[in-house]
This record gives sequence, structure tokens and C-alpha cells, in this order.
Amino acid sequence: MRELELYFGPQHLGMVGNFSITLKVEGDRILKATANPGYLHRGFEKLMELRSWIKNFPMVCRINVVEPDSMEMIYAMGVEKLAGIEVPERAHYIRSIYLELARVGSHLFGLWAYANMLGFDTVAQWAMYHRDLVLDLFEELTGGRVYHIYIWPGGVRRDFPEGFKDKIVNTLHSIGGCVPDYDNTFFNNRLFYERAKGIGTVTREEALAMGGTGQVLRATGMQYDVRRVEPYAAYDKVPWEVPTREDGDAYSRIWVVRDEMIESVHMIFKLLDAMPEGEVYNRIPNPFKWTIPNKEAYVRCESSRGELGLYLVSNGGDKPYRVHFRTPSYTHGLTILEKALKNASIADVGNIMISLYVVAPEIDR
Amino acid sequence: MDRNQLIKWLKAPAKMGHKYSLHAVYFCTGCGIIEVPPSITARWDAERFGVLPVATPRQANLFLITGYVSVKTLRAIIRTYEQMPEPKYSVGFGSCPINGGMYWDSYNTIKHLDKYIPIDGWIAGCMPRPEAIFVAVTHLWTLIDKDMADGYKRYRDHYQAYRANQEHALGKLEWPPLFSNETKS
Amino acid sequence: MKDPLKDKLTSAFDGIQIQPADRNQISITANKESILSVLSLLKSNGYNHLALISCVDWIEEKRFELVYILSAYMEKDKHFTDMEKTNIILKTSIYREKPQFISAIPIFENAEPYEREIHELYGIHFEGHPRLTPLFLEREYKTPPFRKDFDTRKYVSDVFDPIPFVGKKADKR
Repeated sequence: MRELELYFGPQHLGMVGNFSITLKVEGDRILKATANPGYLHRGFEKLMELRSWIKNFPMVCRINVVEPDSMEMIYAMGVEKLAGIEVPERAHYIRSIYLELARVGSHLFGLWAYANMLGFDTVAQWAMYHRDLVLDLFEELTGGRVYHIYIWPGGVRRDFPEGFKDKIVNTLHSIGGCVPDYDNTFFNNRLFYERAKGIGTVTREEALAMGGTGQVLRATGMQYDVRRVEPYAAYDKVPWEVPTREDGDAYSRIWVVRDEMIESVHMIFKLLDAMPEGEVYNRIPNPFKWTIPNKEAYVRCESSRGELGLYLVSNGGDKPYRVHFRTPSYTHGLTILEKALKNASIADVGNIMISLYVVAPEIDR
Repeated sequence: MDRNQLIKWLKAPAKMGHKYSLHAVYFCTGCGIIEVPPSITARWDAERFGVLPVATPRQANLFLITGYVSVKTLRAIIRTYEQMPEPKYSVGFGSCPINGGMYWDSYNTIKHLDKYIPIDGWIAGCMPRPEAIFVAVTHLWTLIDKDMADGYKRYRDHYQAYRANQEHALGKLEWPPLFSNETKS
Repeated sequence: MKDPLKDKLTSAFDGIQIQPADRNQISITANKESILSVLSLLKSNGYNHLALISCVDWIEEKRFELVYILSAYMEKDKHFTDMEKTNIILKTSIYREKPQFISAIPIFENAEPYEREIHELYGIHFEGHPRLTPLFLEREYKTPPFRKDFDTRKYVSDVFDPIPFVGKKADKR
């Protein structure tokens, strides 16, 4: 059969985000896939070298639109490590709760994209509505729907408002009450099984060789989670599980996402119970004259997509000398995606890509 | 439906058709796309206003440019815009297409999008809320009524100038000009 | 870090400097000739996860610093130890005038996009890399944009600002 070249994206219904893949196909089989990022490249790391330490917070959260909160967290962690700032106990708990809420929201967004792609429109509508409920919580807490800029070096911007704990509990209960519906309509649906089982399989050896993290790795049975390996915030204060699956295909990855969401909700309840009273903010030096000694640091945290890292270098000035983000989608979307698409069929491109949880702005930065 | 509305209908039925079926291109140009799924799903429900995402630019008449435009995306945007049938309306969503927004000093983003394609309206803010899309849509209705949403006409009239700007930013364009005849400028 | 590994590193390679662990972080500075052997030694000793390859432009010292960040994958169903908590920052310097280095793809497969990115944004050539094609950028830049001597604000005012407005708007301004 004749070999053809097919351009998939950036303007394509099966593509989530501004990303494109060049496919070499023979009939319906994909012989070779070449990821073609760069549609969202803004040169963040260069722009951050021109702005002072504090002014960079509005920048970092725009790197990942779906989950800006772990971006704030990683940058705050990096600055704290360089400048040696301590964070009060209560702020650790608030940060964890905030990040877990963001994880739930981000997974619901992922579920929307995945269900929409498979044609489960009802589930997609539910997921998007439930994400909106989480966004309402953020709006009350921080004033912003999408970008929050809540985490600062030295803690968080402000304490929970009055009655906010109950609101979190109520919202999460109303989302959690729909889990049986989600299961009946989507997760235990035969159609989902038929469509996703055995698709886009990434074995554990492949995932390890190519630097996979997050769901990609946990769907192959590895309990690798940075929250567990190198605990930050308050993740070592309460007990929690790392959900895993064995097969490494799209089906397992989406199930891991579902289990993780439920685990996050349970974790939020535990954190809310264990949360101590006290200050939420340690004063930092005057941000306009803030210089940080000549040092370098690598910090990492677990975003909803996998290991998120930040390599931060200071040369003693009031601006970072070099910032480099290690984003999970980078390896998933460039190395693993190209491998997973080989020998797949054209109809499964969106399936594989969304189940790998690739977010394009994270790749391009 | 009151009398005035009815007269409007009878006078320009096609215009009413354009107004109440604004079909948007499904193109995630930037981070503003994060507010589009909420606004087309159950909670905000853009279909009340006749806004619906469609698969290809050939079926669309509304182009929401959601967020910053990098140089590489500009090429895709121009191609998409030129594929849309007339009349077509383009709306810039978010601060970044207006003047670069917070990426004003980035080497890889386009600062003023209306130098390259005509824009009928802007939605300011980063991130604008879903309601802002609806405000923009209702505003676009008024503009269409008054024949002020004439971006596609401007594009035809000043095509040489637009094309020159596009080539200035992107280098040689690999597709032939959309309007080949000499136009008044 | 395990002491045997430290001994192994210092005995096998000349001019290697190891800073003691500070908050789960160890910095190793090595010669550019020995970097691939150091990487494979670290990989065979358990640090099998290449998290990041980065590059820093120290323009005053006239060198590029290539940074490899390694950590360890936890084995399945095993409790994590100090080793998994540790991040290794492996650094080496190359001359700014002669931006050339060797590719690390034979050791770590996911080095490929990182090296491609560094090639594009810093103009460093990696020998043995299968495709050093542009990854992100559409325009051509005389100076690669992430180098310190590339002034992005000047570039914007030189390139984007002179483009004129079109139509009525141009008359108004």
C-alpha cells in the first residue's frame, strides 16, 4: 500500500491543545509519528531572567493552564530552598489541600477531554460541571477562577476564610456522590473497555528507559510518586495510598486517574482534620530589594501529570540567572508518544495522546 | 417577537442567520482555551447564544483566538482564517492578542494580532470569565446588525497590506495569495 | 550518597568534585571528557532516571555549563530509602567559542528532546544526535535566543514594532 504523510493538528478535532503530530501512514496503520511542538513557545525561561523573584509568580502559573497550582508550588519551593525560608506548619497543610483540590480539578478536565474524545458526552458534561464546582472554591479562596497565585515563598497568601472548610467538604461530597454514576456510565462500560484496552501500551521497561513518570509509570505497577518518594508540604503527615494498575495501556492509565482522584479527596478530608492552627505566612524580605545568594537548586513535586522539576540558578542578584522546568508532558509528549503511536491506528491517536495526559503549553513553555 | 424584531428578520434574513448561528472553529490557539470547555458545556451553555464549536474552518464563521499567538501559531491562524467562508467574524480572547499582554517582551509571540488578520472585537482580561464570551457574542450581534463587523471586508480591501505584514513576520508564505487581483487600498 | 559510590567516582575519574549532600541534593562537577562514563557509572549504580538536561550560559566566564539531573526510580513494592530521595546535579563546562558536545542518547533515551532543545536555544551541537532539527522556533535567529547576549526586548522593538497597522486603524494613529 502507498505510504502517505498525514498532518494531525494543530487545528484538528481530535487534538487537545495547540500541538501537532506528523504521521506517516500506510492505510490505517501509523508507521512513524513525529511530534511537532512549538506552537505555544513563549520563551518563559528567558522572560523570567528579566523579572525579579516575586514578579515571576504570575509567569510560572501560566506554563500549565490546566493545573497552574503545582507550578506555583514548584517555583515557591525552589525560591525557598535557595533563600532558606521556612514555612509554618499550617501553611504546609493549606498548600497540600490546595494542591490536591487542583489535582481533582485537573483530573476532571482530563476526564472531560478523554470522555469527549470517546463520545461519552454525558460524562464529559458532568466532569466539566464538577470541575467548575472546584473552580468556584478557588474563586472564593483566591479571587481567580483559573490563575490563582496563592502560594508564595514563606507560605500562602491568606488563611482560609470563615466556613471554607465546610464548603470544601460539601463540594467534595457532592462530587464524590456522583462516583457511582461515573462508574456505571463510563468506567465499567463495555464500550470504554473495548475502546481503550490494549491501546497505546507502554511497558514498564519502556517507561523507565524513556523517563516516564506519573500515570504512565503507575499504570505499569510502579508505586513511583514524588509525594511519597521525597515528601514535601504535608504529604508525610497523613496516610495515603498510591493507586496502581498493571497493564500500562490507556485503560489502566484512565483507571489510575480515577483512583487518584478518589484518593486525593480522601486525603483532603484527612488533611482538613489534622490541620493545626497558627500562622500561614512567614515574612520574606522586601521583595523589591530581595537578592538571593549565589546558589543552585533542583526541586521536584508531583503535578497531576507526573514529576515536575525546577532547576533554579541564582548569581546573587535580584533576578533568577537561569530557570529550567522539567515538565512531565515533555517526556510523555515527545519521547513516549512517538513510541506509543507506532503501529497504532489513526483512530487511536487522540485516545493515546489524551490518555498519556499531554498538555501542550507544558512542553513548549 | 416584537414588531421591530420582525421587520429586521424580513429585511435581512441572512443576517439573522449569521447572528444566531455563530459556529466557532475548534482551534486551541493559546491558554484561553481553558475557559472554552466550561462555556460550551452544561453550566454556562454557549448554545443558548447559538455558539457551537465545529470541526473544520469550512463550516465556521466565528474565530475565537484564545490567548497569545506565537509566530508558529500565526501561520496556522492565517491558514485557518483564509479557509473560513465569508462572512466571518474573528474575536481576540484575552489580553495577549491585543498587545502582547504579559509576553510583551517575548521574542516568539505576536504583539498586535490585528496587524496580520482583521479582528472584529476584543475580550480583555487574563483569563476572561465565560460570561465575557457571552458579552462579546451579544456585542457582536449588535455589530452585525449595524454592519460594523466588517473584518472580512477589510481583509479583502487591504489584502496586500495584510499579506505584506504576514510575510514580514513569517518570511515567505508557501500558499498563493487569497485575492490575487489588484485591490484598492 | 553511598560512600562506596563516592570512592568509585573519585578513584575512576580525575578532577571530579563532589559536594556533600545538602537537602537531598548532591552536586558533582566533572571534566567534559569523562561525562558519559560518569553518567553510565551513575546509571549502573541505581541513578537510572534522567530528569533533565539543562544548560547555563556563564557569559562572563566564557563557558556553557551543561547540567544533567539524575534521580533513582524506586523498585516495585519496596520502601524508599535515602537514595531515592537524592537528586544528583552533574555539571560540566564547555567553551563558549566552541559549542560542541557528545550526545547522551546511548545511555538515556529521553535525552533526545532535551539536547534538541539546547541545540536550538543555545546553539550547542551534539555529536551523534540523530535529528538536530528545529523543535520550537519558526523564525531564524542570528544569536540563539537563550544566550545571555541575545536581548529579547531589543529584538521585539526591532522586529515586531515597525510592522505597520492596516486600514482605518493605521490612519487614526
